[in-house]
Amino acid sequence: MIHTVLADDEVLARQKLRQLLRDEPEIDVVGEGMTAAETIDLVRATKPQLLFLDIQMPGMDGFDIATELCSGKTGPTPHIIFTTAHDQYALRAFEIHAVDYLLKPFTRERLSSAVEHARREILLADQQPATNGAAGRNGGRYTTRIVFKSRGRIVFLPVSDIRWISAEENYVRISTQTETHLLRETMARLEEKLDPEMFLRVHRSSIVNLQHVKEVRTETDGEYAVVLVNGEKLTMSRGYRSRINEWLTHS
Amino acid sequence: MVLLPVNCSLYPALKELSDPICIETGGARLNLFPAVRDPRVPRFLHPVAFVGAFTLLGMLFALQEWVSLHSWNNHIYITLRLVMAAWCVHYSLWGVICWLLWWRLRRSIQTADFFSIVTRFLPLSVAVSVLEEMIWVSIFPQLPLGLPRMTYWHRVVFHLDAELVDNLVIFWSAFFFLRGVGYYQLYRETEYAAVQLETQFANAQLRALRMQLNPHFLFNTMNSISSLMQTDIVAADRMLEQLCSLLRITLERGDVQLIPLSDEMEFIEMYLAMQDRRFTGRVRQEISVEPDLYDALVPAMLLQPVIENAYTHGLSRLEQNGLIVVDVRRQNDRLVISVVNSGLGLRPEPSTVEERRGVGLANVKDRMQLHYGSNQAFNIEELTHGKVRVSITLPLQFSERPTEKLTGYGV
Repeated sequence: MIHTVLADDEVLARQKLRQLLRDEPEIDVVGEGMTAAETIDLVRATKPQLLFLDIQMPGMDGFDIATELCSGKTGPTPHIIFTTAHDQYALRAFEIHAVDYLLKPFTRERLSSAVEHARREILLADQQPATNGAAGRNGGRYTTRIVFKSRGRIVFLPVSDIRWISAEENYVRISTQTETHLLRETMARLEEKLDPEMFLRVHRSSIVNLQHVKEVRTETDGEYAVVLVNGEKLTMSRGYRSRINEWLTHS
Repeated sequence: MVLLPVNCSLYPALKELSDPICIETGGARLNLFPAVRDPRVPRFLHPVAFVGAFTLLGMLFALQEWVSLHSWNNHIYITLRLVMAAWCVHYSLWGVICWLLWWRLRRSIQTADFFSIVTRFLPLSVAVSVLEEMIWVSIFPQLPLGLPRMTYWHRVVFHLDAELVDNLVIFWSAFFFLRGVGYYQLYRETEYAAVQLETQFANAQLRALRMQLNPHFLFNTMNSISSLMQTDIVAADRMLEQLCSLLRITLERGDVQLIPLSDEMEFIEMYLAMQDRRFTGRVRQEISVEPDLYDALVPAMLLQPVIENAYTHGLSRLEQNGLIVVDVRRQNDRLVISVVNSGLGLRPEPSTVEERRGVGLANVKDRMQLHYGSNQAFNIEELTHGKVRVSITLPLQFSERPTEKLTGYGV
């Protein structure tokens, strides 16, 4: 079970969270805070693993609370999911390693995906207690998650959720399990940031997540195609073939 | 005759209104109407220009006199230097006088009525002419050549006899020239005011049209949510979230008029997703955009009314297998957006519905007209099998600076 604390000054906001979290099997809400001081005391007393935190609270704002909790005086720092009506703090929240950023009002699905991200990070932190979350996996050289705004929402996307990326002139389209996002970014810049152990450029205009690759197939016309687990098929350039062969022999 | 005094003209009042008309495009500013230069002071009325022009004129007269003296009056010996000096000083004095007239008296010159011309400027012209001659005579005591020595006053009278009329002509030419400049300024100012008013008006209209769209769309969606709440709480919740996302984007944009196509398409995707929930999969949606057009500028909220219209008057009439296709492509230097929907064609409808049909589309047409004048096209036509196509053609423009988006990488 994941011990969870809810912090929001509005009773209806807490009520909504409580009700929706009741359906999340692994979440156990151990307390609710209405003010900054109350929340800090509650976290010190109950040592939760997860904290749902509103940004605008009486006393201190959500970031002050996060800083206070991170100072180490209170024991282990909980993973934080921000819940707020404002989108302008997203980058700051991302920088202090918040798990997710939920814009109010959010749906059950959106909350579930945030809880899932939290669950994975908590699991990871338990396995590698010495390192700060995901940072240890590749020595911090490569991006493990991306923040951007898409369709009026703030997305904290773990790169492992990306299936593949396609180039669209000055933009890239990132495809995940459920949707696609258009970002103003170049392929070259993105490729640089992604771990080559995990992502492979298979074409001038596509990068694929190797975790989602099922097979490499030779088409009837002699061209190669990368087939993803969900059946999607991407064409592969000859120039990039040797790289994927190398990967296939390794795995 | 009384002209509009320059200092109490339209200009100061306009100044307050006339912030440069800029359009925010999510970080990029696009100046729709280039600023009009301050028309109050023509550039050529600088003191150096005044005196310089007059001195040049003096030099030309000097050359002419020197040539004629050499050709005809050989018995008088006179150097070119003296001729030049005499004429140049004469005309530079007039240059200074004219500039003083411009500097100190231009307002009274430009606004003088007949009475004040006779009572003030006529005496002034004589006085100035005499004064100029007196100064000139004191500078050149050796002139006139070839005559017995005279006293100062004799020389003044001698020269005035020859040149008073010339001096008066110069004075009055300058007087009417400056008056003409006044007319020119007034003309420029009126023109400037007209341009300013026009841009103000266009902007106000655009703002109003843009504002019209939000409540219309907002209340329609609220109504859907209100209806869903009775039957399907989860669906109502989802739609409320979608509406909030749309609203958040709209509020963030403020009253920015032109936005990158990528932003408009993002909005349209969200809107289509919301419509899809309402129509529960009865309508297939297809979007295709040429990727190099994502940075092209389009009027904000251009497509939403068109798509809403496609749903209200076409797709909502179909039981199943509806289709809506949004396609954006480049055609030379134009951007062509087309929205095709299946439905019942453009057949006439009962009058109440017919009246309502127009509002959203008329708004789109009006805004395109205001943004691009005649350099755009809006067409609505019926294709086969009850399909209707709306095509919008705009001039292809790109924002000078790409919009800054929140994107961050981290561990």
